[in-house]
Amino acid sequence: MKTDNFGSIKRKTIIYIIIITSAVILYGRLFQMQILHRVDYEMKSSDNSIKSLELEPLRGIMYDRNYKVLVSNIPAYTLRITPAYYDTSLNKIIETVIDADPGFITDLLYKNRGYSKYLAIKVRREINFKTVAWLEENSEHLPGVDYIIEMQRYYPAGIMASHSFGYTKEISPDQFEKEKETYNLGDYVGHNGLEKTYEKLLRGSKGYKYVLVDSRRKQIGRYLNGVDDILPVKGNDLVLGMEASTQQVAEEEFVGKRGALVAIDPTSGEIIAMVSSPDYDLNQFSFFTSRDYLEDVYNDPGKPLFNRATMSVNPPGSTIKMLEAITALDLGLINTSYTTYCGGGFTYGRFFKCHGSHGTINVVSAIEKSCNTFFYKLIYKIGMEKWHEYATRFGFGQKTNIDLSEEVAGFFPDENYYVKKYGKNWPKSIMASLGIGQGEISVTPLQMAQYVGLIANNGKMKTPHFVRGYIDPASEKLVPFNYKEIDTHINQAAFDVVKEGMFLVVNGHGTATHIRLPDINIAGKTGTAQNPHGKDHAWFVGFAPFENPKIVVAVLVENVGFGGTHAAPIAQKVIQTYLNSFKGEGKVLDEKIASLENN
Amino acid sequence: MRIDYNIKDKFDFGLFLSALVLFGFGLAAIYSSTVNNVIAHANFQKQIIWGVIALSLFFITYSLPANLFKSIAVPSYLISLGLLIAVLVIGKHVSGSKSWIMIGSTGFQPSEFAKLGTILAIAAYLSRSNTDIDSFKDILFTLAIGVTPILLILLEPDMGTSIVFIGIILIMFFWKGISSFSLFVVLSPAFVAISAIFGLTYFIVALILVLIFLFIFKKNLFFSASIFAFNLSSGFFADYVFRALSPHQQKRIQAFLDPMADPLGSGYNTIQAKVAIGSGGLTGKGFLAGNQTQLQFIPEQWTDFAFCVIGEEFGFIGSIIVISIFLYLLLRILKITYNTKDEFLSLVAIGILSVYLIHFVINLGMVVGILPVIGIPLPFISYGGSSLIVNMFMLGILANLYRTRKNYT
Repeated sequence: MKTDNFGSIKRKTIIYIIIITSAVILYGRLFQMQILHRVDYEMKSSDNSIKSLELEPLRGIMYDRNYKVLVSNIPAYTLRITPAYYDTSLNKIIETVIDADPGFITDLLYKNRGYSKYLAIKVRREINFKTVAWLEENSEHLPGVDYIIEMQRYYPAGIMASHSFGYTKEISPDQFEKEKETYNLGDYVGHNGLEKTYEKLLRGSKGYKYVLVDSRRKQIGRYLNGVDDILPVKGNDLVLGMEASTQQVAEEEFVGKRGALVAIDPTSGEIIAMVSSPDYDLNQFSFFTSRDYLEDVYNDPGKPLFNRATMSVNPPGSTIKMLEAITALDLGLINTSYTTYCGGGFTYGRFFKCHGSHGTINVVSAIEKSCNTFFYKLIYKIGMEKWHEYATRFGFGQKTNIDLSEEVAGFFPDENYYVKKYGKNWPKSIMASLGIGQGEISVTPLQMAQYVGLIANNGKMKTPHFVRGYIDPASEKLVPFNYKEIDTHINQAAFDVVKEGMFLVVNGHGTATHIRLPDINIAGKTGTAQNPHGKDHAWFVGFAPFENPKIVVAVLVENVGFGGTHAAPIAQKVIQTYLNSFKGEGKVLDEKIASLENN
Repeated sequence: MRIDYNIKDKFDFGLFLSALVLFGFGLAAIYSSTVNNVIAHANFQKQIIWGVIALSLFFITYSLPANLFKSIAVPSYLISLGLLIAVLVIGKHVSGSKSWIMIGSTGFQPSEFAKLGTILAIAAYLSRSNTDIDSFKDILFTLAIGVTPILLILLEPDMGTSIVFIGIILIMFFWKGISSFSLFVVLSPAFVAISAIFGLTYFIVALILVLIFLFIFKKNLFFSASIFAFNLSSGFFADYVFRALSPHQQKRIQAFLDPMADPLGSGYNTIQAKVAIGSGGLTGKGFLAGNQTQLQFIPEQWTDFAFCVIGEEFGFIGSIIVISIFLYLLLRILKITYNTKDEFLSLVAIGILSVYLIHFVINLGMVVGILPVIGIPLPFISYGGSSLIVNMFMLGILANLYRTRKNYT
């Protein structure tokens, strides 16, 4: 039913009046604001406005296992120029003070010409205190020049550990797009290493200060005396399993060498030390990285930015022999009385040689003397399937899931791999090479340390990790993280046999007797990774004390040759330092540890 | 000049050019407020791209046969509802509400498109030959069409857009010819419900007002009593729902009803917006020279507060020009609406007029500080692809109605 009222002239007139009235009210309001009260608003505009200033939180610090500070923050001064008030006749003086090339400031101002003249440009970070004093004294003659204090990372323990700690970097546009809620452009975020993994814990939360500013953004007071201000919350402090003196010795041992070292506490899975050499200086990355230093680092043929401890892959060489022995013992294929004869080599299609003629030899001596013949034969007894299965139980061919994002899985071939590569009748002679850890097996130093840790700890260990936990700011107690336990499900007897062999490597007539110590029983195994591109890489893996293992070490030294000579002494030094750290200065901190860890 | 005459007869230059000039003012405001902003400096170019797309849509809509709009009414309404449900599931949170569906890196707001879908559906229902606008059944059914998208938009939650929808429904009712008593029956429960949230005193005052109106209308006692009972229960219901909400939801609704309670939130924007416009004076501080704008005192000024840039940099003269163009545009549309004889199309036109009018009044009222801060954009001026495209599309419908106005005599 149509009503007469539809679209009537009366209703049109009412809407017409509503439209006109709205516009008239707006005209009137604008007249009132822009003409009548213009002066008031102009004064407000130039006098004061509320502006929220961001307050940066302090980043959480990192302690070692004895609560020695490894990574902390120090203030750094940054010189700034605000173009709107700056007088370019000052260029020369400023350039002299900050030791810059002539024309530096002109260039900088030109580069920033697209931005508001009122936005301060950061001219030079980390200016020294003398410069700050000079700026203070002459501030009235230096319009538009000021400095701000920003916090930067500081490494007081005298160690590098660059690949482990990692550094923070200005947020990338991609990450910023994804996390706009949390970050602003120009914020620093963890870029690699632990700084990246624990970014959420370390960063804390921003605070805000409400201030009254004039149109030149000059602060003229607090808004409401600061009642609405939000204080920044400092990031959480992390406690690492690292031991500073051990890390330091490990780094010193690697000076001038290429390679990596991983030391783990097998009772907890905590990383005691991790070195990748050459490394780089985190102090150069802490805030402002000079172009010269970056160029040096990028162009260095030693690739210092690359974390060899978790990302370099090489064949394990003879260090793999324990895996084979454990597999055969656990499957009951051999026992301690099983022997084989070594006449200096083994023929399977072609001749595979041993580095000696060991005669009739059992499994313990085969590990002690690193007899190739024994293990050439043994892998054929085990077969590809079981061999690969046991390797997987020890974590080979997979990432360890350590708390660093920079890690690779390595590779451990199985039968399928060779069937795919060569067809069903693939040459079984390949297995002989695999039996002594050469060929297509590739492992990282971290995987080797995990493997030896599992042996030392009789088949069980927590996932390797750096961070034990964080300190709860409210209770000031350590909040420990839980890590998954790896369990190989292997008989204790197998470990006893293999460990005896490893003991004799150092303390019997083995390949590393030169690192024997009077007071500490070290057990270990040397290895040599064949390198088609140059000199072989040296491996040494070991643990100590033999009776009650507290540290396992995996050492890789690139392009030096035999493992016993080059890698074993480094492991010895590291083991010695770590076990001695229990006696020395560690005690001073006992009280602090007790207060933090006893809940 | 025969050709000239023909073109003017077929194409409403006034309508088209006024929207184009407003878009131009918008571009200037967006450029000025984003040129120094690292995050948003690409918005100027993006808006130009949106503008090109929107203009093409305008011309497409303009040249379609007018009877097509009726046949797309129900499908477009259902698609709108589907998108509004989808946004609740897969939508992206932007400043507190889940109102964006992302396709790659660009997103769109289904609530913008739902405006048109809802207008078409209501117009289609109201223009049926057997619809009686004063019958209880038809009022309820029309309300159901309009309230469904409102509820979905409230869930995002987007209060501003919900209010626009309420306005659209009321103005369309009014144009259809609803009697003042029916309008009262529709409006009073909502009025009482909102009052109830403010507290007992407001609730009682609202109920007394309802009683006074019932007395004035002089309907029979039983009917009046049931309307009063309905009002009473809507008040209790609103209070019950409000108490059932979590504290932060309550806080958000209170902040929405009384924004001045939060001087650093929406109150901050109002203060800064007023200072920007007021300090513009008669002639403004000049393009790119407004310190409030250039120092970015108002967050995201290129969206809802874009008018501040015009007020500050082009002054009273610039502001008056913009408002006068809006005034011209709105009156022009009212004329087209009145001259459209087909009931469905006339209702669509009044619906579109109500969208522009409500956005114009609420946005500018908020920017000059006489209405609470409700985040809705200023048509053709504020930055934003979805709203520009929908506004130009709707303008295309109006231009179409002008072109085909003689077909329905």
